[in-house]
Amino acid sequence: MTTVLVVGVFGLVAIGLYGLLIVRNLIKIVIALQLLTKAAALAMVVAGQVSGQVNLGQSLALTVIVADTIVAVVGLALAVQVRRRFGTLDVRQLSTQKR
Amino acid sequence: MAGALSLLVILFPWTGAVIVALAARRNPRWLHLLAAVFAAAAAAAGLGLLFYTGDAPAVTLSLGGAFGDFTLVPDGLGAFLAAVAVVIGSLAVIFSADYMRGEAQLGRYYFLVLLFIGSMCGLVLSGSLLLMFIFWEMTALCSYALISFYNDDPKAVAGGIKALVITQFGGVGLMIGVLVTRAALGSDSVSALLNGADSLPPELLSLIAFGFLIAAAAKSAQVPFHTWLPGAMEAPTPVSALIHAATMVNAGVYLLARFYPAFAGVPGWTTAVVAVGMLTALMGALMALTSDDLKRVLAYSTISQLGYMFYAIGVGAVFASQFHLLSHAVFKALLFLGAGAVIHAVGTRDMRQMGGLGSQMPFVRGVFIIGVWALVGLPFANGFWSKELILEAGLADGPAWAYIVMLAVAGLTALYSFRMVWMVFFGKAWTGRRLHDAPAAMRGSLGLLAVGTLTIWLLAEPFKNLLASSLLRHIGEAEGSVLLAVLTNPATLLALGVIAAGLAAWWWRESLTGVANRLRFIAQAAQADFGFEWLNRQVVIVTHRTAMTLRTTQTGQLNWNAVGIVGGLVIVLLVLIVGG
Repeated sequence: MTTVLVVGVFGLVAIGLYGLLIVRNLIKIVIALQLLTKAAALAMVVAGQVSGQVNLGQSLALTVIVADTIVAVVGLALAVQVRRRFGTLDVRQLSTQKR
Repeated sequence: MAGALSLLVILFPWTGAVIVALAARRNPRWLHLLAAVFAAAAAAAGLGLLFYTGDAPAVTLSLGGAFGDFTLVPDGLGAFLAAVAVVIGSLAVIFSADYMRGEAQLGRYYFLVLLFIGSMCGLVLSGSLLLMFIFWEMTALCSYALISFYNDDPKAVAGGIKALVITQFGGVGLMIGVLVTRAALGSDSVSALLNGADSLPPELLSLIAFGFLIAAAAKSAQVPFHTWLPGAMEAPTPVSALIHAATMVNAGVYLLARFYPAFAGVPGWTTAVVAVGMLTALMGALMALTSDDLKRVLAYSTISQLGYMFYAIGVGAVFASQFHLLSHAVFKALLFLGAGAVIHAVGTRDMRQMGGLGSQMPFVRGVFIIGVWALVGLPFANGFWSKELILEAGLADGPAWAYIVMLAVAGLTALYSFRMVWMVFFGKAWTGRRLHDAPAAMRGSLGLLAVGTLTIWLLAEPFKNLLASSLLRHIGEAEGSVLLAVLTNPATLLALGVIAAGLAAWWWRESLTGVANRLRFIAQAAQADFGFEWLNRQVVIVTHRTAMTLRTTQTGQLNWNAVGIVGGLVIVLLVLIVGG
């Protein structure tokens, strides 16, 4: 069971990093970041289980989930504002915008 | 008692700084008074601390974890320098009441000055290297902000940034030394380094020793880092007095004196200190001789006198270096504040536009000549005793080449000092304006400093006993009376002869015109700062070019930044796998 979870953690990290490297759409980048933080939360649960401190691992994971929900909300709100102001969500176009 | 006083000597100025900053919008009269009261309270605490010195930590602040303990150790050396900082500092603050009258932003001015004084006390009292480093950087920050105090003047801003960059460079040297000490000894207390130096591997100890030397040279404006000090002359004059006499530049000399016993055995270290001190003394004197800006002459003379102190530490005469530091602090504060009174009255710093001021400002002329008397080292002002002590130690224990140069610099000092006095106070009057002599608060500070210049050497014996507790292992000077040793040593006569030759050279300067013309190339080199300004500019240009080249790596593209993050992650993982 632990092995499966560890593989899951690495899989999530890999998908998240792949998204950060390849994806251009701002909303998809927020999703990629979410995948990375979920990998971290899962890693904490696994670590808690392995080291025998189940409660500690799970409560840390819950804290991370709460915090990164806020990050997601702010990020998506910014994405909405960017779309309204610049008319695009492509980060390569955005980084060359003058204003 | 010692703990309370060593805390108060830091907290009085800092509390004053906060209160002055909060009261900045009130009546400026109150600001002057508040700052002076807090500075005077700190001075009282600093003088009181001299009676309660001890080698044990007086205050311990336990931070736990990786930071260990922060301690304050008011031993003889630290308490002495703290007393210098608060007493000279408070006189500069009192002087400011007249000098800064009517200036804008007094709250910022007094805040920084008081913060500066408190930080310097913390630096010299600190018993752990990490805490010392923090205070070290705080003094650098305060000096930057004060040099740039007139922040609408581009020259002042440039001077401040230059001081900040150069002293930060030295700060890196100090940080390397501190971190290596921590890593190798497992503790960063000053006593751990002093006691454990012998057990360190030689290459680590030389790394620490030369790191500290770079830090001290940058802080004390030694070659090749001296260029920031003349640039610092854009500051208000009381600040110059503070930087030159009370706080900033003493820190480097303090650092070397404190750790001399640990580093004396490092091969080449003492020779490097002697060479740095000698070169600085010589070049400072030559540049002072060719400068026409009153404050610049004083700045170069500070550089030169600091060279004497470095030289003294290099030849092992740590007590002589600290004695000269004390003398220099008093007479240089007097000279700077005297120059401030002149500049305040005339409105220019160019000595060619002064001349003949003596008849209109007799009080300032009197105290200024007392200061110059001590700077030159004529008997029996305080500078005489300490300079002779250094030269005698150099003759006895130092290399001959350095001694000859230092002796010649004593003559050059006489030459440039009397040139300065002549150009400012004597000769033909340049301005026909009616000038005012110094006002009351200025007179008070100047009078106290003049009395100190003439009498502080009487305290040489108690001073030696004070320092003996912390410098016992390496005090290096003859047993018995310091003053008697100076008087009976034939080297004193030799040095006085050279000084007299310097005076004679100024007196018969007309008939020496031919020689002066032949030496013109030296004067030109000195006016060009011996190429160090050029070197500074080249460093700036190269840094700028490199930055512009590296800029292409900053695409602003999110995906590329993510590549950087992943690359960093891979490197960390590799280090963990290979290193683990």
